[in-house]
Amino acid sequence: MKPRKLLRIARWEVQKNAGGLDRRTVAITVVMIVLFAAVSPLIAAGGVGLEDGIYRVGVDEDSQYYGVAQSDPTFEIVAGADERDLRTGDIELLVDGRTIRVADSRKGSAAYSEFRESVQRYNNQQLAGEANQTAAFPVEVTVEFREQSDPGGTDGQTDDGTTTDGGNGGDGSGGTDDGSTDGGATDGSDGDTDGGTDGGETDGGSTDGSGDGGTAGGSVGSAAPTLGQDQISGSPADISPPFPFQSLVLAFVFVIPLNFLIQAYGSTMLSERLNRRGELMLVSPVSRLDIIGGKTLPYFLGAMAVEGVIAVSLFYIAQGGLGGAISLFAVMPIVLLFLSATFLGAMFARSFKELTFITVTITVVLTSYAFVPAIFTESGAVALISPLTLVVRELQGEALTLSAVVFSTLPPLLTAGLFFGLGSGLYREEDLFDQRSLPGKVLDALAVPISRPRHVGIMTIVLIPFVFVSQLLAIALLFAVQQVSVQLATVLILVVVAVVEEFAKSLHIYAAHTHNRFERTMRMAVILGIASGVGFFVGEKIALLAQLVGLQEVATAEAGLSGGIAQGPILLLFLLAPLMLHVVTATISAVGAKGSRRSYLAAVTVAIVVHLAYNLTVVSAVA
Amino acid sequence: MPLRNPITALASSARATIAGREISALSREKTIVLALAIQLFIAAFSSFLVVGLTSLYDPSAEGGEVAVGVSGEERDKLIRVAEEMQGVDPTPYSSRAGALAAFEDGDLNAVLHTRQVQTDQGARIAVDAEVPADSLETTLVIVRLQELLLELERQERAVRSDNLEFSPVELPEEQQDSDDFTQYFTFTYTILLPLLLFLPPFISGSVVVDSVTEELERGTLELLRVAPVSLTEIVDGKAIGMILIAPLQALLWLGLLWANGITVANVGLLLLLVTAIATLTTAVGLFLGLLTGTRQKAQLLYSTLVLLLFGAAAVLPEHPASTAALLAVDSASLGTLVHVGAITVVAGVTFALVRSYVDRLDPESL
Repeated sequence: MKPRKLLRIARWEVQKNAGGLDRRTVAITVVMIVLFAAVSPLIAAGGVGLEDGIYRVGVDEDSQYYGVAQSDPTFEIVAGADERDLRTGDIELLVDGRTIRVADSRKGSAAYSEFRESVQRYNNQQLAGEANQTAAFPVEVTVEFREQSDPGGTDGQTDDGTTTDGGNGGDGSGGTDDGSTDGGATDGSDGDTDGGTDGGETDGGSTDGSGDGGTAGGSVGSAAPTLGQDQISGSPADISPPFPFQSLVLAFVFVIPLNFLIQAYGSTMLSERLNRRGELMLVSPVSRLDIIGGKTLPYFLGAMAVEGVIAVSLFYIAQGGLGGAISLFAVMPIVLLFLSATFLGAMFARSFKELTFITVTITVVLTSYAFVPAIFTESGAVALISPLTLVVRELQGEALTLSAVVFSTLPPLLTAGLFFGLGSGLYREEDLFDQRSLPGKVLDALAVPISRPRHVGIMTIVLIPFVFVSQLLAIALLFAVQQVSVQLATVLILVVVAVVEEFAKSLHIYAAHTHNRFERTMRMAVILGIASGVGFFVGEKIALLAQLVGLQEVATAEAGLSGGIAQGPILLLFLLAPLMLHVVTATISAVGAKGSRRSYLAAVTVAIVVHLAYNLTVVSAVA
Repeated sequence: MPLRNPITALASSARATIAGREISALSREKTIVLALAIQLFIAAFSSFLVVGLTSLYDPSAEGGEVAVGVSGEERDKLIRVAEEMQGVDPTPYSSRAGALAAFEDGDLNAVLHTRQVQTDQGARIAVDAEVPADSLETTLVIVRLQELLLELERQERAVRSDNLEFSPVELPEEQQDSDDFTQYFTFTYTILLPLLLFLPPFISGSVVVDSVTEELERGTLELLRVAPVSLTEIVDGKAIGMILIAPLQALLWLGLLWANGITVANVGLLLLLVTAIATLTTAVGLFLGLLTGTRQKAQLLYSTLVLLLFGAAAVLPEHPASTAALLAVDSASLGTLVHVGAITVVAGVTFALVRSYVDRLDPESL
């Protein structure tokens, strides 16, 4: 790889694209974005009113509830409605003197709870204009968030609302490194699942209700909680439980520019493959890494510039100073994941149409990877799966441990590297200009680096970050299930683990066989199986490092990621058992892989069942 | 004649063939099936996640009572209110420190310390609440505390009503048998459903851009033109295929919602709305694809323009997303129906305009 050549290709990419996107297009786009910015306040101000008129209510003008219904656009007043309308579903609520009659449906009961809230809002609005504010708002609340079972926590009185007491932001953050080792994971049996989170977990007492401005719950009163505050105060109507609107907003702010970017990036990569245009570049005296690097660099830098502006300005809004370096660092793996997945997609896709669908899929999956764990920002280690959590926490002015940063950025970084690696294996003439089916391309990508049995083991290790990331995503998605049933969540996690791991251990063996890299004998199958199994075991031990950071606080995560290893007294057995498991299951798959596709799939299924049975045994034995 | 001609022309066999080919090419490309499956999976999961999250936020979902330690001057008043309420289990403490110690030990879920604060207009009750940080139960605790304190506020207001000019509207009784779905009813119909319905038309337009620019960039349009079909017929064929696939996808989402126990009313009208919007996006996609001839330019313009249109729709008396929500939740008014009609007409006219642009286009110039 020669930097000078790489930079030249990068310059060409910029110049060619400046030509490809002529001034008129850019100008029109800019005008449209400006126009969009002009209408967005209209949308943000609730001008859209998505909820307007979804519930209909029959109320007379002399009723006390008339003003309520009139002031809330969610309700539409139906004049002269009667009981019959309630039965036929033409209205949901009917005010009859002092009682409110509700339609017998989900919609009716939803309308009723909405109406209750509306009454409260209406009262508060009216009372805000009273001369005697003490009588209008006789109760004043200050909510403070405090660590439980934290010795040395009883500092001081709370004073009214406005001042934040200093200590809270920082003190808890040291908790991760020592608190996590004895993690609460196993004591989660007390009914409510989140046993882990109270065991000395990361950040000190900062929870805030909502993001900036518009999402705050309260209609009157002073204190809408903002970023970086760890108290909420006001009248009882103002305190609202923390809801992850903030991370939703963040996810969209950071991710939307990336979607535009990967469209352009995907286009330029795929257009190299149309009409053999990339041929010229391939025959020139540059390596393919130069080409790929050069074509990617402008997009990476562009993305980081945009994300940098976003990070710094968000930090400025939240903290009123300069900063955002950690945010920028945290966003980098997401940018690289988007680019690498798009690159691989562009190598796989046969047409623009296919590319569009692949891009949509990438967007959906990666957005949920960034967003779903960040929902749980306030509730423990599971949030750290997403690098966006680092952004949220930095914006809240919390200290971040190095281990937390490593834990949430390293797996996606390595996965991005893996995607680039697999894609660059396909960046050669016979694959670039070939119209092969997608599964064929995947097998090609996996088979390219393999020529000796030990390569199989190395390939397995290389695939581990991907395994890790997909398992983390599964854990985050199943976190909500865990609230309902720990058992169900654990079993589902174990199923995902078994499926992902078995394919990761054997798919490249099958790929190598389709390219006739190895003899299709039993002896070879056993050799490859052992290579892959040992490789996975080694890789998993490296991945365990990440686990020490504190993910084990999440009960299901422990069961999943360690492949069922328990911290038991008979250490040797616990070390050997998973090694045996991985070797055995990989060999089963390897035996099937020497045959047809059908025999491979059958063998993998057997391996998955064996793996699952083993994990279930270990988990139930430990629990 | 001018009315009949386009209709018979649209139904001509050449167009039908090309439309059929577009759709079958789509289904042959397994990637698309895969992409759809993944979208379906994620959509299923996100709605599942919403349900999971609701159980976190919904007090009725968790049966257990929140143990609250109460101390301070107004202790007895607060405990009296709490005892009337469900879901809160109050314990009196003589000092705040005592209550906090129990909180630290994990015996209490929250501590409420009450004080009287004198203002120039009388006394106010100040409540300092301590709740667990960083815990999933924080949400539930706060929800319960809020209910408790709102009730206290209501009673205090009643006591002081002589000092108030406005007499607060009576708060209706709380429902007894509301299920946990209720709170997210609004979310499902006003956000989730419009999102699921408008995604397919957006993708359809994007695919048309791809389809047109790919033929132009690869030069395969030449081949199609050797066949005895006009450019208009080719373009029609591509468009019809993509317009029809949108309501099919929408139907899939509606089926998914239905399977999750969410009933959707006015399915026919919703599908008409989706078809109309798909017609609009497809027309925009076609126009931009033919105008620019390259994917990069056309896709960029297409996505920004469609986003702009979606935002600008806020100036309408009813946003199309709102129209979809009102139809689905069965609260459609006459205005909603007029809206569906108007969108359909606008879509038809736009498509006709793009067609006439194609008619006048010189194929050699592409």
